[in-house]
Amino acid sequence: MPEKQHPANDHPPVDVVGRSLPRCDAADKALGNTKYAEDYFLPGMLYGKVLRSEHAAAKILSIDTRNAEKLSGVRAVMTAKDVPHNETITRFGQTHTVGGFEGLYRILADKKVRFMGEGVALVAADTPAIAEEAARLIRVDYQPLPGVFDPFEALKRGAHRVGEESSNLVCYYKVRQGDITEGFAASDVIVKNTYRVPFQEHAYIEPEAGLAWIDDDGVINIQVCTQVIEHYREIADVLGLSYNKVRVKGTWIGGGFGGKEDITVETYLALLTWKTKRPVKMAYSREESIICHGKRHPYIMTYKTGATREGKLMALEAKLVSDAGAYVYLSPWVLLYSTVGAAGPYKIPHVKIDARTVLTNNTFSSAFRGFGVPQVCFAYESQMDELAERLHLSPLELRRRNYLRKGEATATGYVLEHYAASPEAAEKALEALGEKTKSKSPAVKIGRGIGSSMTSYGRMVFLHDTSRSYVGMELDGSVTVRCGVQDLGGGQASSLAQIAAEILGVSMADTRVFIADTALTPIAGTTTATRQLYMSGNATSMAAKEVRKNLLDKAGEILGAEPGDLDLRDGIISVMNDPSRSVPLNTVVRACASSGISLFHIAQFNAPARELVDFKKGQGQVFPDFTFGTHAAEVAVDVETGKIDVLKLAACFDVGKAINPQAVEGQLEGGTIQGMGYALLEDVILDKGITLTPSFSEYLIPTSLDAVDVRCILIESGDGIGPFGAKGVGEPSLVSAAPALANAVRDAIGAGIPDLPLTRNAS
Amino acid sequence: MTQMEYAKPRSFKELDGIFESAKGPLRFIAGGTNVVPDLRAGTISPRLLVDLSGLKEMAYIREVKGEIAIGALSTISDILASRVICDKAPLLFQAARHLGSPLTRNRATIGGNLADASPAADTAPSLLAMGAMVHTRRRRGKERTIPLDRFFLGPNKTILAKDEIITRITFAKPKDPSRGRYLKLGLRNAMTISVASLAVSLEPEGSSFGGARIGLGAVAPTPVRAYLVEKKLASGAMDPKNIEACAQLITKEISPISDIRASADYRKRVVAVLFQRAIQAAVNGGTP
Amino acid sequence: MTTYPVRFLLNGTPVEVDVAAQDTLLETLRNKLWATEVKNGCGKGDCGCCAVLLDGRAVNSCLTLAVQANGKEVVTVKGLGNEDDPHPLQESFIRKGAIQCGFCTAGMIVSAKSLLDENPRPSPDEIREAVSGNLCRCTGYKKIIEAISDAAPKCSPSD
Repeated sequence: MPEKQHPANDHPPVDVVGRSLPRCDAADKALGNTKYAEDYFLPGMLYGKVLRSEHAAAKILSIDTRNAEKLSGVRAVMTAKDVPHNETITRFGQTHTVGGFEGLYRILADKKVRFMGEGVALVAADTPAIAEEAARLIRVDYQPLPGVFDPFEALKRGAHRVGEESSNLVCYYKVRQGDITEGFAASDVIVKNTYRVPFQEHAYIEPEAGLAWIDDDGVINIQVCTQVIEHYREIADVLGLSYNKVRVKGTWIGGGFGGKEDITVETYLALLTWKTKRPVKMAYSREESIICHGKRHPYIMTYKTGATREGKLMALEAKLVSDAGAYVYLSPWVLLYSTVGAAGPYKIPHVKIDARTVLTNNTFSSAFRGFGVPQVCFAYESQMDELAERLHLSPLELRRRNYLRKGEATATGYVLEHYAASPEAAEKALEALGEKTKSKSPAVKIGRGIGSSMTSYGRMVFLHDTSRSYVGMELDGSVTVRCGVQDLGGGQASSLAQIAAEILGVSMADTRVFIADTALTPIAGTTTATRQLYMSGNATSMAAKEVRKNLLDKAGEILGAEPGDLDLRDGIISVMNDPSRSVPLNTVVRACASSGISLFHIAQFNAPARELVDFKKGQGQVFPDFTFGTHAAEVAVDVETGKIDVLKLAACFDVGKAINPQAVEGQLEGGTIQGMGYALLEDVILDKGITLTPSFSEYLIPTSLDAVDVRCILIESGDGIGPFGAKGVGEPSLVSAAPALANAVRDAIGAGIPDLPLTRNAS
Repeated sequence: MTQMEYAKPRSFKELDGIFESAKGPLRFIAGGTNVVPDLRAGTISPRLLVDLSGLKEMAYIREVKGEIAIGALSTISDILASRVICDKAPLLFQAARHLGSPLTRNRATIGGNLADASPAADTAPSLLAMGAMVHTRRRRGKERTIPLDRFFLGPNKTILAKDEIITRITFAKPKDPSRGRYLKLGLRNAMTISVASLAVSLEPEGSSFGGARIGLGAVAPTPVRAYLVEKKLASGAMDPKNIEACAQLITKEISPISDIRASADYRKRVVAVLFQRAIQAAVNGGTP
Repeated sequence: MTTYPVRFLLNGTPVEVDVAAQDTLLETLRNKLWATEVKNGCGKGDCGCCAVLLDGRAVNSCLTLAVQANGKEVVTVKGLGNEDDPHPLQESFIRKGAIQCGFCTAGMIVSAKSLLDENPRPSPDEIREAVSGNLCRCTGYKKIIEAISDAAPKCSPSD
């Protein structure tokens, strides 16, 4: 076991950490000053456009670009043959090589299209209108293929082959714990059901956009809203350039939620700017965004769970099949999260999980907040309520009897090393609903439900994840942080400022964070997997402490005191027991500068690293740690129309330590309402691979009149592995909202609905 | 790329001039909430856009001699802000509140809502239930008055000629404004296209449902009146049995489609429910 | 291509720009007048992040033709306040944590301003109604509603 790193725990927060300070990016956003990816313009800039397939499955017999090329104002037309390395493998944002997860990744369709919206050709032109016209003038001769749109059909012998591989099965993972036959034999009550969940669209309000140009050094610069600036390596591979010839600069992002984790516009932009030698801008329309980017995986999940009369869980068997869509992308990773999370936050001696992900000709599926866990959480939490009903136990009581505690092993044999807050969180979430609402009409039934989850934060430990951060004191006593984090809107940059300010005894206003630039900021990894506060927060904390150490050493010299007796706050270093002996931070900074003492530090934080788990039995540690929590919901169901009104929602999570309580609440509130959308109304509807919900008129997300005020309860156990004992909440905040709502509906109408979204079943 | 021209007449006379000189297809625009998305999607590509928003004489809401008249350019927000509508035609007020969002209501006009002829047009069921008339004007001042129930011909199709604009909508002031109820069912609570909508207006005569009018949205190729139900209602007593029988009948009088929002069967089921609730509310004087 | 000269007041400053008949106010503000604080989220009135005040009323600039702004007054979030003198709504959004990714914020504040001009003391339900055309995917709306409530008593009609 490598030693555990808690780099900030020896520094109890005093002034800045733990306070609900306005985020450092908030003012510019409120004033309209912040630039997003589509807001940049360069002289001589061209507009890029992607011609996309209208077919879900077809052979490309020929592509004729001559008419497009002849159109005045068209500067480049590119197809697969013009892409230096059109086929590569998905290895997104990874620095450690792990086999078995890669899939084909194709920049432009070649010979065959696999889904509606797949890129077929690129155009760069003087205006967006010319680019669009040129795309229309490209003649693609398709020969439609039957395609396959259902994962079970896709698994059948003789099914249409989506890709070039011999089978549509992407991967198959298993978990084997105990003896499942024995487990069911020992159960007094067994419930069984099949659950289905739909594609979910991220629906960030900012569609994908970017701007690329070649700078004076011949480097391709791409300014883009991405969760992963480290795609620069994949982009360089496509162009056959060395990695230091491509620079990705991330912008402030108008929401990501996993949807800007895969490459979007950046490779297209790189190709077009490389070809034309001119700046090129590309912005997706909303329709294009919905049609072409990855979705949350639909799953079909057959669950069987057994318990004793006393309500002790004995056995859980699950068969998971997910629809990967037309390309592999992150499906193997997502499936692994589902597999490891399939038994939930429960102690179950006998577990058997079989999980498969399958290619179809649907829009591809990939990362989405929760990453495979919301799907299984909906299934296992539905099973819990079905069991509770049969056992005549309250849903809370059944769960309480089975929640995993610290020191107990999960279904994959990982012994929980940290506080597992499930019992406390469940009670508090339910309590937060307050008194039960009374129905005003016989047609309207009121119900309540809870959903509990354990969701990892930090990437899988076999990826050997790392992050780096630079912290430096400026000569005027202000603080500069440089860190390659991408800020999706979750406050990733601001929390680093808060941590550095705390450790260096300055205010937030005196702290500046430069983010997301592969040329200038230390590489900090992806803003995914609820990892940035944990990873880059720790790296920033480590770096800040090194700078602090130098400052205190120098101050000790000046004050004639031991560095350990000094306090640094509000820009003043003073002797703890004798505050009259003090020196301004500025003076110390200048003294350090004069005597050649380093005023900056770059720290690297390494997450715990483990070997790859055995996928035949699924045993071993997969994640660094988990966040535990519960959602509670109260709904009113109109049994005559099927309309579901959400009356109350509560979320109680152990966040470890709230670096900024207001920002943590913001995550919980937003994640919960996104989960509410998943539960009630969101559904990407495809008909033989053709999207029927291509805009926000058809793909409906909650409005202010659908959402309710989420009641947030933060547990601060201090037992997380992030800075100051923090845990991550970005993804956990969504995971258990849908089952809480589904269980509330079950409570209201006396019958469970096994499919999401719940309203679709009524209409 | 389409070459499009724009004209904004300030008077009917100027409008007539535009008709005389227009070459190629023209399209009227007012608030733009339907036309602009159609332009963007390329589903329409007129040679000339005629912006009616300069015809200021078409923006008013007034009550004259027992009749309420709404100029076609009145926005949905104007309707919501009108005392006349709020107090005397709450049925229309209720419908207006459910149209889009404040952002669209500040632009969308009542004339446009009808001229667009969506089967789910939010103001149509209430206007149908109030027996509204559509007043139009063609070139050279030719006017006609069309009962709203003869105005719609199909999805996005109306009886309007190419040179004909809606000038105003009128209806008799309801005798008892509280005897009406509009109900809309959508998949969410704002910015939602109706899955089904229904307006009921009653003019009870003693213990009978005489003068009942029912307008329906999103359950047929156009917004429709439920004439058979109205007749059956009026011929029976004002009792639960009659209402129940009419709820059965209403599912037969409509011809909903199945689409991504809902199935035809579901629409039939909920229209019966909405009908019963609306009738009950209208009987009780507006409260459900 | 036929173009039309359009003049209007943008955040108090007279502007003049040539536009095509079908150009939207949104495209014109962003691409010709560099008012990129007005966001493009859907292009068809579904999301509200392009909202501006047109003669004092909040509208979707993507549903308004640029020619239709002729002779009118257009106010974006930048017209409400700046670093030195932020509008109470902007201050409240900052202080109450009502901003995450910030992409909806400009439109959200414009809708809120339009509400407070008509109804200086709105209830939470009235606020929810007023911003119901402005989608937010990050916050769950709670802190946005709180921020508008909080700002209301601090606003005067002249703000």
